[in-house]
Amino acid sequence: MRYLRLLALFVRTELQFELAYRVNFLAELLSLVIIVVTSVAAVLILFAYTQTMNGWSFPAMLVLLGVFYIVQGVGELAFTPSFQQFMEQVRLGTLDFVLLKPASSQFLVSLRYFKLSNVAQVALGVIVTALGLARLGDELTLIALGEFAVALFCGLVLVYVLLLSLSTLAFWFVRVENLLAVYEAFLDAGRFPVDIYPGWLRLTMSTVIPIGIAITVPAQAVAGRLEALGLGLMVVVTIAAWAFARWFWRVGLRSYTGASA
Amino acid sequence: MIGAYRALFVAGFQNASQYRVQLFLYVFFSVLRPIIFLAAWVAVAQARGGSVGTFGVADFAAYYIALTIVLHLALAWDAYEFEFLVRQGRLSPLLLRPLHPIHYAVVNNIVWKLFTIAALVPVLALTAITFGARFQGEPWHYALFVPSLVLGAAIRFLFGWIVATAAFWITRVSSVSTFFDRIQFIFSGQIAPLALLPGALQVIAYAMPFAYMFGVPVDILRGATTFEQTLLLLAGQGFWLAVCYLALQVAWSRGLRQYSGVGA
Repeated sequence: MRYLRLLALFVRTELQFELAYRVNFLAELLSLVIIVVTSVAAVLILFAYTQTMNGWSFPAMLVLLGVFYIVQGVGELAFTPSFQQFMEQVRLGTLDFVLLKPASSQFLVSLRYFKLSNVAQVALGVIVTALGLARLGDELTLIALGEFAVALFCGLVLVYVLLLSLSTLAFWFVRVENLLAVYEAFLDAGRFPVDIYPGWLRLTMSTVIPIGIAITVPAQAVAGRLEALGLGLMVVVTIAAWAFARWFWRVGLRSYTGASA
Repeated sequence: MIGAYRALFVAGFQNASQYRVQLFLYVFFSVLRPIIFLAAWVAVAQARGGSVGTFGVADFAAYYIALTIVLHLALAWDAYEFEFLVRQGRLSPLLLRPLHPIHYAVVNNIVWKLFTIAALVPVLALTAITFGARFQGEPWHYALFVPSLVLGAAIRFLFGWIVATAAFWITRVSSVSTFFDRIQFIFSGQIAPLALLPGALQVIAYAMPFAYMFGVPVDILRGATTFEQTLLLLAGQGFWLAVCYLALQVAWSRGLRQYSGVGA
């Protein structure tokens, strides 16, 4: 409860900050709309030549693209702004002040800063997903929708875990902004189902950098291409990854010495 | 002028050699992006029994490898930096120097490209072998590819500067850049080879400058054009280069009058 209050406070200050630059805020919203519209156009061009792509129908592909923007949007809205600040704090030694505060350090480091224009990216993702779902029509069952929700939640947790683990590396290697760039490169590949890629890329995106499964599995659920076993496996993996990231975070924190000391 | 350029090149290379991790990431980025769309088109081709139009899997591979090379050599990113220069008023000292700021940008571009191409080539060669890329060019294709690439790079460079001069009037250019980047994304042959853009889109593509930046050199390098077509496309590139050059002259001189030097 206390954490929810804190979260609301952080969001409020960030909102005030963003609204100070209103034209810029609008320009960013406009850019997001352009990006999403052109991406949908790209999928339309591909499907002008085929009914299915490696077994994926057009509606299923729309759902996948929507999930891509939801995942990317949530990442840019809530996770990456804070982690970028965190890395800077480790480098400058100002993380000391964060650690002194009477709240979970992992919480303060992960959910302190927000880039609120990305709410629009998430919203656009939801719209594209909804368009895809509507086109699926009769094929869509309530169970599939439930599986979709579970898989999407797991996917978001996996992305959070990935970013937290990459950021934790900052305790040992001071300059790791570049690692976030690696995340962005692989994230870009998430706009298509992971099963179309060559082996090495598919493997990387399903294991070490689980962006592929985070985006593909939810879409598989509504496209009727997901078995119960696959979903179960994803849930188990997500819980394990979460536990690992928390453990890794604590190990990293212990080796932090404070640059000023 | 030659002496100035030589000095700038030496400084540029010394500067670039500090950023080795960035180098690795840059190469990684520039290879991954085309592979994404290559994989998508291969999936479409397989769903159609092996080919889309005149494109088989091997042609798509050749197309996207050629595109990686062309994008690498012809892309420019000045608009993003220029906004920063104007907003912070840092353009002022640059304007006092005897050389036009565009010359620094030219050198930075060329240095970074030469610096990274060495790392890019082996990765691309590997990709070419795994996908069995098919290049079907005659010797004259390769000879004419060189001027086409230079023209494409010049168009993209000048176009980037035209967009960048918007910074004289509005403080945040990045959304303007994003807009043009996405238009370019569709019409320059990145989403799909120009030949595969459906109907009207293809006509629009050839009527705008974007296709002449990347798509045209790529098709020449692949050997997909006849001799007459190649000459026509080169003429088109010359036309757009002239248009961009004149537009930049106008935009720059008008913009400078507008510029007040923030912080001065």
